[in-house]
Amino acid sequence: MSSERVHIFGIRHHGPGSARSLERALEALQPDCLLIEGPPDAEEVLALAVHAEMEPPVALLVYVPDEPRRAAFYPFAGFSPEWRAIRYGLQQGVPTRFMDLPQWHQLAGEAENEGEPSEETSGKSGDEETAVVGGDAADNSPSAAEPIFRRDPLGLLAEAAGFSDGERWWDYLIESRRGNCTEVFTAVREAMTALRDDAPAMDDLRELRREAYMRKTLRAALKEGFERIAVVCGAWHAPALDPARLPPAAHDSSVLAGLKKVKTAAAWSPWTYDRLASGSGYGAGVVSPAWYELLWSDEQDVAVHWLTRVAQVMRSSDLDASPAHVIEAVRLAESLAAMRERPLPGLEELDEAALSVLCNGQQGPMALVRRRLIIGDRLGAIPAEAPMAPLQRDLLALQKRLRLPATSEIKKYDLDLRKPNDLARSCLLHRLNLLDVPWGDSDRGGRGGKGTFHEYWQVQWAPELAVKLIEASRYGNTIEAAATARVKQACDDAATLAELTELLAHALLAELPLAVKSLVAAIQRRASVASDVPQLMAALPALARTMRYGNVRQTDATLVGDVIRGVVERICIGLPSACHSLNDDAAGDLFTLTIEVGAALDILSDEGMLAAWYDSQRSITEQSGVHPLLRGRAVRTLHDAGRLEADQLHRVLALELSPAVARTAAAAWIEGFLRSSGLVLIHDLTLWNAVNAWVASLSGEAFTEVLPLLRRTFATFETAERRQMGERVKRGGPSTAAGGAVEPAASGFNYERAAQVLPLLAKLLGREAPP
Amino acid sequence: MSSTKKKELPVILREHAESQFADELAALAETDDRQRPPNWKLSPWAVTTYLMGGTLSNGAVIIPKYVGSRRLMEIAVATLATDRALLLLGVPGTAKTWVSEHLAAAVSGDSTLLVQGTAGTAEEAIRYGWNYAMLLAKGPSLDALVPSPVMRAMTEGRIARVEELTRIPSDVQDTLITILSEKTLPIPELNTEAQATKGFNVIATANNRDKGVNELSSALKRRFNTVVLPPPATVEEEVTIVQQRVASLGRALELPGDAPAIEEIRRIVTIFRELRDGKTEDGKMKLKSPSGTLSTAEAISVVNSGVALAAHFGDGRLKPVDVASSLTGAIIKDPVQDAIVWKEYLETVAKERDDWKALYRACRETL
Repeated sequence: MSSERVHIFGIRHHGPGSARSLERALEALQPDCLLIEGPPDAEEVLALAVHAEMEPPVALLVYVPDEPRRAAFYPFAGFSPEWRAIRYGLQQGVPTRFMDLPQWHQLAGEAENEGEPSEETSGKSGDEETAVVGGDAADNSPSAAEPIFRRDPLGLLAEAAGFSDGERWWDYLIESRRGNCTEVFTAVREAMTALRDDAPAMDDLRELRREAYMRKTLRAALKEGFERIAVVCGAWHAPALDPARLPPAAHDSSVLAGLKKVKTAAAWSPWTYDRLASGSGYGAGVVSPAWYELLWSDEQDVAVHWLTRVAQVMRSSDLDASPAHVIEAVRLAESLAAMRERPLPGLEELDEAALSVLCNGQQGPMALVRRRLIIGDRLGAIPAEAPMAPLQRDLLALQKRLRLPATSEIKKYDLDLRKPNDLARSCLLHRLNLLDVPWGDSDRGGRGGKGTFHEYWQVQWAPELAVKLIEASRYGNTIEAAATARVKQACDDAATLAELTELLAHALLAELPLAVKSLVAAIQRRASVASDVPQLMAALPALARTMRYGNVRQTDATLVGDVIRGVVERICIGLPSACHSLNDDAAGDLFTLTIEVGAALDILSDEGMLAAWYDSQRSITEQSGVHPLLRGRAVRTLHDAGRLEADQLHRVLALELSPAVARTAAAAWIEGFLRSSGLVLIHDLTLWNAVNAWVASLSGEAFTEVLPLLRRTFATFETAERRQMGERVKRGGPSTAAGGAVEPAASGFNYERAAQVLPLLAKLLGREAPP
Repeated sequence: MSSTKKKELPVILREHAESQFADELAALAETDDRQRPPNWKLSPWAVTTYLMGGTLSNGAVIIPKYVGSRRLMEIAVATLATDRALLLLGVPGTAKTWVSEHLAAAVSGDSTLLVQGTAGTAEEAIRYGWNYAMLLAKGPSLDALVPSPVMRAMTEGRIARVEELTRIPSDVQDTLITILSEKTLPIPELNTEAQATKGFNVIATANNRDKGVNELSSALKRRFNTVVLPPPATVEEEVTIVQQRVASLGRALELPGDAPAIEEIRRIVTIFRELRDGKTEDGKMKLKSPSGTLSTAEAISVVNSGVALAAHFGDGRLKPVDVASSLTGAIIKDPVQDAIVWKEYLETVAKERDDWKALYRACRETL
């Protein structure tokens, strides 16, 4: 009878308790055939699982070779039951097969939907055992419309048992068990059978097909005459494979009929605990990989062991944690477990005990503990002879298409960004640089100075770049996706606003619209909490240029608009108080920034922003604690913008330069007022007269004192400007129309001569000449 | 002179927790069949129920004393059940004292063994003092000794409470070390000691905003399990707390006028939460946080003063104008930095919200 020949082991993906029970059960059963829930596409690379250099966590990657973006990952940790089963099968030399619906069908089905943009994401094969990779595959979570039975069967059982969620219940009942308990599989199958019987019939075609394919594989194995077949599958599927309840073969064939097929390839890829954690968007992920690893290890007293590790992690970060702390934490965890009527403290209790005793209630150190001990930072490794990663394939294809071969000799390229091929080459090189694969170097390519649409690259391939490329393949399967994911990560890690704007410039060059979007959002967020006004001011000019001129690549720069608006608002609010109590150096820095921001705002010429800017400059002129250099500059800004009446300017000048003001302060003020604007001084008579009057009013002694300071300002003027000023001063006295023709309103304006140009002007403008 | 006019008994302004909730404690004790640690009036499970509220098997309803995470209360109670002392930490207005009073009331039926920590708290307040008249008359003896609340808690096996532990000078704080680790209080003058009996423990509260006032020595810190009481987790939770407290305070102060509209409370609570968390409730925009704590308690007082203004000078209905000035006062503690934060908030957040116009204008006027 077939039911005695088939043994079903319903497991929880990545559950160490399941893995332990499974190993014991397999040991006892000594199966002659192993069927494991996994992609049959990957059977050819399966043998590598027992390779000496193979070190979990690793993932099986199944992808469409022509289009690596369509791919599915099957991650395994050392404590994953499937991993234990694969290793057991291979080590014992037992036929080991995967029995899930092959990805050659699943990925083919995906291709049909490719018209819809939401469906073409790599993870949208969407089943909970496969992981998502790359930033674009956002939605792997089962849709809310799905019935709860299918979405979270364990949650229902847990609720019935009075637990707040399924993870915790399963953890408590199964993962944390240490005794010998092979009967657990029977119990799990019975529970799932009861649950599935009560649940409404499944209508998800993909699920039906998967289970049909599993049964098909099982039937084939039975037909081959194996006597002890061990089936390892997710607990939910266990009842569907029950040999006593198998539907007729014809039923399954009809479900599987008409499936499309696409060519797939499989490869191993190193994986991380971080990506195994459910927080990373992996549907079947577990909350706490590192904790499970500890449960999987043979440590007897898990609580003591874990809390000791917490203490060690804390000590390594220079935080106090003594053995006495650990003892107290263990005691608290145990009494918490007792209060909650649990036999042993679980992760929850240990976590709370560690927080309360070891971290003095502070969440900060606990974040460290979470990262290191609950999620863990383990990175897997794969043997060197494992098949090539999709990212490498993608690069090879791009190199071929763009005629940019990888050679070990140094080559120089002059890329004309107006040509599509050169633009694509430039993008590729920029993207590789972002991925830390420095194939090309744009700084060392030399300069031809032929305009902004030229880019000069020096390109040289080195063997270590291949390694870097494989490292980068954890970010995605294509250069574009990987670069996007990399930038997004860098964006999360960036410490300062300047780093982000820098990154934005690179991302714009590399044409990564998605990354640009999240960078802009990050800049927005960062800018809103940045209290360092100079930092905001330094970030503005680059943003303004991007906004105003875009770049040759026609990137949509309007996104930047919102950021700019926020940054300008904050600068305008914060600048007046940032100008207080500065020494000369800091004031000098802020002065430069003020000029740059003013120029940037002029480029943008947005009424609202300019108004806010002038308001803030005005409030600077009115405050007393502000460095005179900046006050001078603010008056100048207002004057240039025509926001200051002539008599007001006179009043301010007289006030700031009045004899009671310290000479040094007055000189700093005039420096701020006049620095590098000699021409304006010559041509603006109101300005000239006011300054002139002040200098003339100085006593001989005071003039000597202030002379070096004045010289500091006037030395920055051009020689010609200084000569003109000198000549004017020589003529002496407050001048009304010093240069004769300088002032438009002055007499001597020759209307007849001016009228002579009018006909030509009219012609140029295409209008009738005035009478 | 007729004596028909009854002399009114003075009404106690505020009752102790154990007398105010005596019925609940009695009901809990009646139904509680779980194991009680020595000298405890209730089992740890029942203490948690007393704090978090619930309905008992005999139908008695327990009012929630603490609105928030049950797990925190479980840690606190489990700590008291071991022989470790409990340190409740939190920004002002997170119900530290409230929790400590109710814990002491539920565990030992007595919340009065209290030491208020101040910069002037002396060793006698924690150890013992002397009745000098007796001392001079009879010489040193146990009769002349005046036990501190902590010493009484030790001998009677009850919970002692120390409020604002970090305000107590460090040398005085450290007298707790022997009490907490050796569970004894030496009395060298009489060549004897007071040993703690089972059931004794200490609940201390401290304000983690005042860090550095008198930072606990690591030796003392090690004797405490720390539970940090966070500000309320959701707007609804906080609105409930504010509404309840405002209603009960309003009754106590006999304020005329209507109960404040829920929308107004919600707006105030939202402003406090958003500024405190440094981001808007929808999580879309980050904000700067002001230097003040902006606790729930402050939100309560803002609403209260608004209600008083509306009742005495307005038409009895709470309007944005009534809360604007106290709101601004509560937020701007540092005249330069906080003013920027508040202005930014008004311009970038409040201005954009449709039904916030009146509040926005009222607040702009006060700036």
